[in-house]
Amino acid sequence: MSYGPLLFLGILFTLASSWVGLVLMPQRQLGALGQHTDTNTAAVYPQARAGEAQQGAEHYRALGCVYCHTQQVRPEGYGADIARGWGRRRTVSRDYIHDKPVMLGTMRTGPDLTNIGERQSDYSWHYKHLYNPQITSAGSVMPPYPFLFETRPIGPMGPSTNALALEGAFAPAPGQEVVPTLRARQLVEYLRSLKSSGDLPEAPVKKEEAQ
Amino acid sequence: MSSTTASKTLQAILPGDFSNEDFRRAKLAEIDASCRTPVLFFFVSGLLWLLAGTLFALVASIKLHTPGFLAGWESLTFGIVRTVHLNTVVYGFCSQAAVGVAIWLMCRLCRVPLVAPGIVTVANLFYNVGVTVGIGGILAGDSTGIEWLEMPRYATPILFVSYALIAVWTIITFRLRAERHLYVSQWYLLAAVLWFPWLYGTAQVMLIVEPVRGVVQAAVNWWFAHNVLGLWFTPIGLAAIYYFIPKVIGRPIHSYYLSVLGFWSLALFYNWNGMHHLVGGPLPAWMITVSIVASVMMLIPVLTVAINHHSTMIGHFGKLRHSPTLRFIVFGAVSYTLASLQGVLSALRSFSEIAHFTHHTVAHAHLGMYAFFAMVMFGSMYYILPRITGREWPSNALISVHFWGVAIGIVLYVVVLSAAGLQQGRMMNDPTVKFLDVVKFTIPYLQIRTVSGLLMALGHAAFVVNFGWLLVRMFAPYRKPVVSILAGAEIASPSGK
Amino acid sequence: MPVITLILLGSILLLPAAALLSLRWASRSGQLGRFDRAALLPFDEEEPVGRATDQILGDNRR
Repeated sequence: MSYGPLLFLGILFTLASSWVGLVLMPQRQLGALGQHTDTNTAAVYPQARAGEAQQGAEHYRALGCVYCHTQQVRPEGYGADIARGWGRRRTVSRDYIHDKPVMLGTMRTGPDLTNIGERQSDYSWHYKHLYNPQITSAGSVMPPYPFLFETRPIGPMGPSTNALALEGAFAPAPGQEVVPTLRARQLVEYLRSLKSSGDLPEAPVKKEEAQ
Repeated sequence: MSSTTASKTLQAILPGDFSNEDFRRAKLAEIDASCRTPVLFFFVSGLLWLLAGTLFALVASIKLHTPGFLAGWESLTFGIVRTVHLNTVVYGFCSQAAVGVAIWLMCRLCRVPLVAPGIVTVANLFYNVGVTVGIGGILAGDSTGIEWLEMPRYATPILFVSYALIAVWTIITFRLRAERHLYVSQWYLLAAVLWFPWLYGTAQVMLIVEPVRGVVQAAVNWWFAHNVLGLWFTPIGLAAIYYFIPKVIGRPIHSYYLSVLGFWSLALFYNWNGMHHLVGGPLPAWMITVSIVASVMMLIPVLTVAINHHSTMIGHFGKLRHSPTLRFIVFGAVSYTLASLQGVLSALRSFSEIAHFTHHTVAHAHLGMYAFFAMVMFGSMYYILPRITGREWPSNALISVHFWGVAIGIVLYVVVLSAAGLQQGRMMNDPTVKFLDVVKFTIPYLQIRTVSGLLMALGHAAFVVNFGWLLVRMFAPYRKPVVSILAGAEIASPSGK
Repeated sequence: MPVITLILLGSILLLPAAALLSLRWASRSGQLGRFDRAALLPFDEEEPVGRATDQILGDNRR
């Protein structure tokens, strides 16, 4: 009794089934999903990211931010995502059509960032938070990112306009200043660009809240 | 070829007296010896990656409760070091241990020596070059950002060539088999080596070479990532369990029909499970529902296997005291059942609402990858290594340190983080609890996790020392020890059961 | 109709059909009979059923 061929076929058929069902089917259903144009306002959503923000996405990817921060808002009544103010509506497939890679995330060691650009648009907050999260969120377990900043002597022209306003234990040595590097600026542009709140037919934003 | 012919061949080649017990194992010894070089290469390099992975794990674990630890080093920031940990243990250690075990098992069950073992050794070298380049890439900031597929695109083709070579060689060994009948372990092994290159190829093409649009990436990502566990590690782990439990206790598997049912139900349902990682996410509900249904169906293969293995073990639990292999393998088999049941529970929408984005999931991943798979690989190595090197394990004490270190470590890890994760999830779902309070709540548990990591590191160190010692002995002249596993086990099992 | 839809429809029809056909073939050619004997395959004349292996720890050390 030798049933190698039968085994071989069975092995191929079983995986083929989910390859068709969970790879090809989603590709057929969503692989060509495009932007939505609002018939009243002619607003197009979602918009592709501007160049600087897109470069920031690369730093977000390289530094592994996705392992602690999700970018998905679960529907109302399922978890407390909306109640926590992480979004005004659940996110849907169309929100992600420009993302390469899509960084939905699977872990919330830190809060969801789907709409961080809407929730926190202050540059200086983001810079301080990246330089050392204890400045803005004492008790956080987020790592500091000192390597995204340059600590340098204050020049003859006085402190840079970009220098971080650091106080107390976080302040650099006298005569020194901390300025964001290009990477920090791009990363913050990316974070500020994170907004998934466009009104979509499949995910309408409640009108009274949208004001 | 019967054992007598093998013995005659050996007698013709080697001088000396080959009467009685040294002789009895001639056929098995010939097969074991043919696997020696490639399997040793896979085990040694796998263990080196395990040491590296353990170190990265400890750094990552400490960072999560003491964020200032090594904060100035960009390559050691949490997001990178955690990813390097995953890739070293999954692709560096687990996959290499799996290949070593798979090749040896395949040869044993096919009853043929490995043909051209040099090819497999070359595949191993390729593989390690690939993993090294991949890990280096992640450290340098070239991670793809796709979970379980972080190795950059310039590393993966090398790995793919190596996988393909291993798959082809396993199939060639299978085709050359001297025993026409197939044991259930061979089904699992054959399935694993055929499934993995398909999974890996699809994921590489659709996510990295020519990325598909939007959330289709997430679907492909989790189809792949769940199947790495389900269709690559799990089958090889189960193949080892199905071989070693009967082999160590000297009793055939309780019901062969149950094992057939277990195999086909696993093959049918496991590969549909992936989308349960996206419950509540921005994908059409049908995809997620299909995966939840398939996850619940996993009860069939899991309970079948659990009942079968337990029934085989009944009456033989005393042997756990004497066999390191059996200890690790049974620990792994029990963990497989527990991990799978936890997985079924976690796939349900109501449970996922709480547990999904928490440390509960992290605990679950370690229950599957470590308490099940890595433990089964340790057990298999304890059996295989003396047989391919022709040397006994130098220290029983180190074996005990290894077992108890990792066993206590992983139990502590899984219990503490599973429980803490549930509370974390409940707090997160209560919008009146500040997020920072949720973070602060987890810190003591993350500190316990570091302690459990140290225990596992101790176990790994003991194993590596014992292994290194064995390798040293391999190059020294053979001295017959007081208790020999190589000369047959009648010494060890007076009951003969 | 897009190509991918054709592939999908085709595979949904062909996969189960091929699976059934191969099962029928296997059953007719006697591949499904008495396979429980395979449970004995880990054993051989060198290490037969009834002989435990790998008993190296504890009081067996003498």
